Amino acid sequence: MAVRLLTKLKVLPDVRGSVNFSSKAAPATLSDFDVQHKTPVIRKQKLIPKAQYGGRHAVTMLPGGGIGPECMGYVRDIFKYIGAPIDFEVVDIDPTMDNDDDVQYAITTIKRNGVGLKGNIETKSEAAYVTSRNVALRNELDMYAYILNCKSYPGVATRHKDIDVVIIRQNTEGEYAMLEHESVNGVVESMKVVTADNSERVARFAFEFAKKNGRKKVTTVHKANIMKLSDGLFLETSRRLAKEYPDIEHNDMIIDNCCMQLVAKPHQFDVMLMTNLYGSIVSNVVCGLLGGAGLLSGRNYGDHYAVFEPGTRNTGTAIAGKNIANPIAMINASIDMLEHLGHQFHASLLRRAINKTINVDRVLTPDLGGSNTSTDVVGAILQNVGRC
Amino acid sequence: MSFLSRNIFRAVMQGSQHVGKGVHTSSVTTEKNVCYAPFGALQPRATKEGRIKCTLIPGDGVGPELVYAVQEVFKAASIPVDFESFFFSEVNPTLSAPLEDVVNSIAVNKICIKGILATPDFSHTGELQTLNMKLRNALDLYANVVHVKSLPNVKCRHQDVDCIIIREQTEGEYSALEHESVPGVVECLKIITAAKSERIAKFAFDYAVKMGRKKVTAVHKANIMKLGDGLFLRSCEEMAKLYPRIQFEKMIVDNCTMQMVSNPNQFDVMVTPNLYGNIVDNLASGLVGGAGVVAGASYSADCAVFEQGARHIFSGAVGKNIANPTAMLLCSANLLAHVNLPQYSKMIKNAINKVLKDAKVRTKDLGGQSTTKDFTNAVIHSLS
Repeated sequence: MAVRLLTKLKVLPDVRGSVNFSSKAAPATLSDFDVQHKTPVIRKQKLIPKAQYGGRHAVTMLPGGGIGPECMGYVRDIFKYIGAPIDFEVVDIDPTMDNDDDVQYAITTIKRNGVGLKGNIETKSEAAYVTSRNVALRNELDMYAYILNCKSYPGVATRHKDIDVVIIRQNTEGEYAMLEHESVNGVVESMKVVTADNSERVARFAFEFAKKNGRKKVTTVHKANIMKLSDGLFLETSRRLAKEYPDIEHNDMIIDNCCMQLVAKPHQFDVMLMTNLYGSIVSNVVCGLLGGAGLLSGRNYGDHYAVFEPGTRNTGTAIAGKNIANPIAMINASIDMLEHLGHQFHASLLRRAINKTINVDRVLTPDLGGSNTSTDVVGAILQNVGRC
Repeated sequence: MSFLSRNIFRAVMQGSQHVGKGVHTSSVTTEKNVCYAPFGALQPRATKEGRIKCTLIPGDGVGPELVYAVQEVFKAASIPVDFESFFFSEVNPTLSAPLEDVVNSIAVNKICIKGILATPDFSHTGELQTLNMKLRNALDLYANVVHVKSLPNVKCRHQDVDCIIIREQTEGEYSALEHESVPGVVECLKIITAAKSERIAKFAFDYAVKMGRKKVTAVHKANIMKLGDGLFLRSCEEMAKLYPRIQFEKMIVDNCTMQMVSNPNQFDVMVTPNLYGNIVDNLASGLVGGAGVVAGASYSADCAVFEQGARHIFSGAVGKNIANPTAMLLCSANLLAHVNLPQYSKMIKNAINKVLKDAKVRTKDLGGQSTTKDFTNAVIHSLS
């Protein structure tokens, strides 16, 4: 894919300059979306003009499977109610299909819109040549960094209070390289790929994130005592980059110890940086600590694109259609998206409404120990919008 | 912040008193009939009591009369929009507000409703850029959208015309670069850039996606201007690859105009460079009833300016109270939809359709004898 794009690379003299042509109409503060379109670190893809017209943004919506479609419905209701200047382009992906046409189309729409909001996409086919669609999406869009913001809600009863951890995960390689083969009968090798380039990108992303958000410490999670070369490279890279950020404390921790520390003393962590599989495990651990799969939202970032999704990547097929799924995770993802696009007003409006719904009104779905339905929660949020 | 939220709260409370007027504030439903926040109170640029500010440029010719019609309808429907009015004119430079003021106002308000500015075919100052072009360039209003749609009971040769014409309007023939190289020889430069061509092509396709359209037609003259229009065409082709589910076709501008008058129903969305767009806009407007009934809009990344689709000042009708306000009212309805007040937008559109369907009140251009005022009043009485 990258090779094909490289050959298509055309000299476009200063597209960015002319897109943001007028000085008067340009906003005073640039949103993350603008920054991404202005100063991509790596310019290996042909630039596509951004989809922002008259102050409204076009965004790809991939409802996915399980509870995805109903949660997306709530997001659209809420956006309509608050008048968020977003036009959704909905792309449905048929999970039973063996070919990748729908996924390719979804990827194309994200490329031209620059931003996507997605549920978890099911891959029902067991055929070996059909890869996981979620992984394909991340790899094709080269979204190398995944951020999970884990912050406790006081209104949700949990063992630990006031947790505030950010997990940053390498998102495109490592164990998810999808390179497996049977070398001789009965022996299967699965390759874990770690590259210096990608390790450096994600480490830099983590330190920049810490700097920008006033975080104090970055913890690299690894297993370099066993995988001395691959995880060793990841660890070395982050240690090297840490020297460029003297204001931010850096330490490292082995994954098994990290999991133990997380459930015992989670407050020692601030920003955590890790490879792909560890990220998957640790995010689920932390989500569990904070109240389950239905609360947190995750962000996938590449140099050009950003995709927002619920934090734990579960489809929730078992509870689909029962009106008990927790819509908060998807709504939080949509808030992240609004913030990324620079619509701070609407984002904070919703953020405050959610906080009040959970912490003060305590309208909670069964997964958080409440007895309200999904629509109750959405209704409560709408009631609170603009009143807190 | 508490100040803001208090105002929002007040606005919400006020809004809830108007439930009977068709504004839903009741419980949430997951299906089609989603409620809207009352009165757009939740807009970031809404003032106290949730009112929205909009720049207003009456323009020349019958512009002020038409804008007055819009203001009357807004008042009658108690639409929470405040106008910030600027007299802006090229033919009357001494009275005109400075360009910077107007640009700043639009940049802050993000929305504007604008009459047509007269553009003289000579220049007092030797400057080649018209005021319209200066405004567009200052705000980077690069995309002009004209939705040409047959209206009920407006008698025309063709029925059910429904096409969207999207025009690049910051470069091409309108670059204002002309010079006399030797006496008697004038060169006019037409500028086409890849960046702007790609931008307008993407706009057209994104608009087609948003509106659920099936086909985009690029209008060009690349057989003669192989490099300039060729670049435009190639940019469109390049963008079309990103939209595999939208049909893309190209048509030479001369053939396009012929097709337009003989079989306009074949067109869906059209994307054109500057001058061709101007011509096709006017031609298509003529098909459905003329300049008085076609609404348009210009977009930049941040702002939207709503203006008539075919730009005629109709100076012959000034003060005679005969101009057709339909186009301007449709513009205002589109503006309301753009700022998340769809209930008001629908209200105005329905009222216009009702008046046209009843066919009792029609202005001169549609074969009637009614005045601008009559028509406006008829629309106001049909508001529901």
